[in-house]
Amino acid sequence: MLDKSIKEIHEALKKKEIKPIDLVEEAFTRIEKNKELNAYITLNKEAAIKRAKELEEKEVSDNLLFGLPIAVKDNIVTKDLKTTCASHILENFIPIYNATVVEKIEENDMVIIGKTNMDEFAMGSSSRTSYFGAPKNPWNHNKISGGSSGGSATTIAARDVLFALGTDTGGSIRQPASYTGIVGMKPTYGRVSRYGLIAFASSLDQIGPMTRNVYENALLLNVIAGHDKKDLTSANKEKEDFTRLIGKDIKNMKIALPSYFMSDIVTEEIRSEVEKTKKLLEKSGATVDVIDMKYLDNAVTLYQIIAMGEASSNLARFDGIRYGFSIENPKNIDDLYLETRKEGFGKEVKRRIMVGSYLLSGENAKIYYNKALSIRDDMKKEFDRVFKDYDLIIGPTTTTTAYNLTDPMDDPSKSFMDDVLVIPVNMAGLPGLSLPIGFGAGHMPIGLHIIGNSFEEAKIYQLASFLEKELNLNLDARKGEENV
Amino acid sequence: MSNYIPTIGIEVHCELKTKTKIFSNSTNGYGQMANSLTNVIDLGYPGTLPTLNQEVLSLAMKAALILNCKIRRKMHFDRKNYFYPDNPKNYQITQAETPIGYDGYVEIEVNGEKKKIEIEEMHIEEDTCKSTHRGEKTLLDFNRAGVPLIEIVTKPCMTSGEEAKLYLEKLKELLFYSDVSDCKMEEGSMRADANVSIRKKETDPYGTKAEIKNIGSISNVKLSIEKEIERQAKIYDNNETFLPQTRRFDDKLNDTVLMRVKETGNDYRYFPEPDIPYVIITEEDIKEVQKTIPMLPDERREKYRSLGIGEKNIESLIGNRSLSDYLNNLLDENIDFKTAANLLLGDIAAYLNKNEVEITDTQLTKDRFIELVTKMSDKTLTSKNLKDILETIMESDKTIKEIVEEAGIKNITDDKAITTLVQKVISENKESVEDYKAGKDRAIKYLMGQVMKESKGSANPEMAMNILKEELNK
Repeated sequence: MLDKSIKEIHEALKKKEIKPIDLVEEAFTRIEKNKELNAYITLNKEAAIKRAKELEEKEVSDNLLFGLPIAVKDNIVTKDLKTTCASHILENFIPIYNATVVEKIEENDMVIIGKTNMDEFAMGSSSRTSYFGAPKNPWNHNKISGGSSGGSATTIAARDVLFALGTDTGGSIRQPASYTGIVGMKPTYGRVSRYGLIAFASSLDQIGPMTRNVYENALLLNVIAGHDKKDLTSANKEKEDFTRLIGKDIKNMKIALPSYFMSDIVTEEIRSEVEKTKKLLEKSGATVDVIDMKYLDNAVTLYQIIAMGEASSNLARFDGIRYGFSIENPKNIDDLYLETRKEGFGKEVKRRIMVGSYLLSGENAKIYYNKALSIRDDMKKEFDRVFKDYDLIIGPTTTTTAYNLTDPMDDPSKSFMDDVLVIPVNMAGLPGLSLPIGFGAGHMPIGLHIIGNSFEEAKIYQLASFLEKELNLNLDARKGEENV
Repeated sequence: MSNYIPTIGIEVHCELKTKTKIFSNSTNGYGQMANSLTNVIDLGYPGTLPTLNQEVLSLAMKAALILNCKIRRKMHFDRKNYFYPDNPKNYQITQAETPIGYDGYVEIEVNGEKKKIEIEEMHIEEDTCKSTHRGEKTLLDFNRAGVPLIEIVTKPCMTSGEEAKLYLEKLKELLFYSDVSDCKMEEGSMRADANVSIRKKETDPYGTKAEIKNIGSISNVKLSIEKEIERQAKIYDNNETFLPQTRRFDDKLNDTVLMRVKETGNDYRYFPEPDIPYVIITEEDIKEVQKTIPMLPDERREKYRSLGIGEKNIESLIGNRSLSDYLNNLLDENIDFKTAANLLLGDIAAYLNKNEVEITDTQLTKDRFIELVTKMSDKTLTSKNLKDILETIMESDKTIKEIVEEAGIKNITDDKAITTLVQKVISENKESVEDYKAGKDRAIKYLMGQVMKESKGSANPEMAMNILKEELNK
């Protein structure tokens, strides 16, 4: 049933041909079958079944997402359901409150199926910093799924469920979406409440939908977007239907393709797919101009300063006193802090906390953090300049396709380079989406990155759905292994 | 001991009198069961975010205005990062870069001369939780975590413990009268730190600084500064030096004791709080807040002086805000304010203290009080009469006239009637009159007693005494 279109599933539910419990059971069967992919940290089996049965009592509303299973990244807090951030320090943390997005999911009668694997505290690009081991790419089990939302990408690509939530601080939704051939949207900063998202870098973090296609992506954004009084950085925007431009003609759309995105930092096969897409768009009546943009090559540096600085402060609360892992019989308070954090955090997290602390130390805050904030403003202005003339910006999502799980992890700056094309969007607070547009060597998916102006997610969906329809790719990864 | 010039700066932390905490909707309260006024935000649970209590902004603006500060129009919050068990997020949200108020002053009077104590800046921050040490264990009560504070920092502009005391008294009075804080030092809602250094000459650079932390009362601020000046002077007199340090005042030793020597400056890794956007304060916001500032103590003092109230009573009134507010409610009435003040601070205050009630909780309405003051000032009621009927006045809603009548009080305030009585007594007590003329003081008391007896207690005693003296001296 889960392979059918969302409308077909909804009709079946409405006609009582199936019940929510059938969808939930089917999802768990698939997850069980794909256990090897390691997409989940915690399954919510008992509560999900209970919830599905409760929904049987309810009238099936016009809400297309009624009764549908959804996977939630494990850095989003779920009441009474373990939330670990893929870290030893929160290994047994059971929150007593829900994130705002979780409340919205429940209000919309979706069923949380489990918590997905990720990089520890979302710090990483391959989900390999997870305390619970990395998820595997459904297209090729020797490859990474990307990160940090690797588990959510994996479960969607494997078609366990149709809906997942990811989070994106420096590409963590879009990059794994690209590696696994799914659709991932990082909405405008402020579009989705961050209340209950365990903060990595507060000024960059954003929750977003990860799905098998564009329409379903927009549907899920409809559910999770909206102003939240609990999050002062959430934007007070009127409710809108993000599917409203889907299917609309893209004729006369003006699209920019920054030359930096097509430079030799990107592999030949990916550039060629983007080039093909450019031609397709031009053939369809849109204009695509190759433009020069300043500051794009500064983004990774700025990101490292801002994200690690904020992270060093955000992660200070994990001290073993009030919740989470705590060492036994500490000698004194400093011992409790040091040993709990030494044992509780993984290597990459500790590395980033240390670098972040250094960046904010004494005069460094002015030299690095404040300076980075000001260049970030300039970068935002550069995007504003482009959006005066263009509807959207496109480029590849990643510089390569998914690499091997066994590739070395010892060069941290290389891992940031995985996200070099997606990070500028976080720095400017803009919405960005990754759409599968083809395959590279070994039939590994290639993604197109579509960037919109602030709060213009609907326009991104318009272009994405047009391309999706034109390209009509077979994105079922379940035959991935055979494709090699 | 040689003469040194002390330099003193004071930092005050003051809890704001808001209903809820600064970044969450937990109740801001004192004396409740430990950890009963907390939620996941106060406890710094992962994923939680701060909201911003608008009442905090209003009260902080109000404080800034009464301290004559300039108000910052665009401000943000900062994170101060340090690990301590009383700090649930291990960072405190404060204002380091853009304090809401700056460049203000408080005026005090030292030895009859006015002096402006300059305020460097005033900022908003959250309070920490309260830790109690029990043997090897530390207990944490998060009820106080997230209670809004303002921190008021003076320039190093005071030169004695006395000045510091006068400054704190004035500051406390202002914040209390403007309803910014209840300023209870014993409950920790107002806490003071003093920075003290000394030097030989004005032209010398400042001496090494010692900070005395968390002093529990204003008198101890004065005392601890004086003790600290002495201590530093002794060191310099012996040609010795000391390192910058943090000290505390020990009540039992009656002296300051060393807590820790300050090593290289603390590194709090301040950076702008990304969870709270910039706050913009408009001219309208300031005007709105201005409207909520009541008549402040110095203005009250001047007003009372102009109404003929004595200095002692003026200070007593300022010291008892609810009575001062009560009196201020009558300022437009045509009454004898001297009498009114005497009444409020005398018998009425005694009644209120004894019964532990606020004047606003009694039956003493404005109209009844005016009636009472009038009867007292035209002498139709004596203070002795008042003592008999005060409870009824405070507890029933009858008019004063009714109460007086029911009590059978008839005061003869007619000169002629009293003169007749006096003359009768004089003619009937020749012996005592002789005694009086012979200079025996007791005699007049006896005669006075006879006058009161003759009037069955209804003669106004003051008038009767005056007439008696006149008649005797004829």
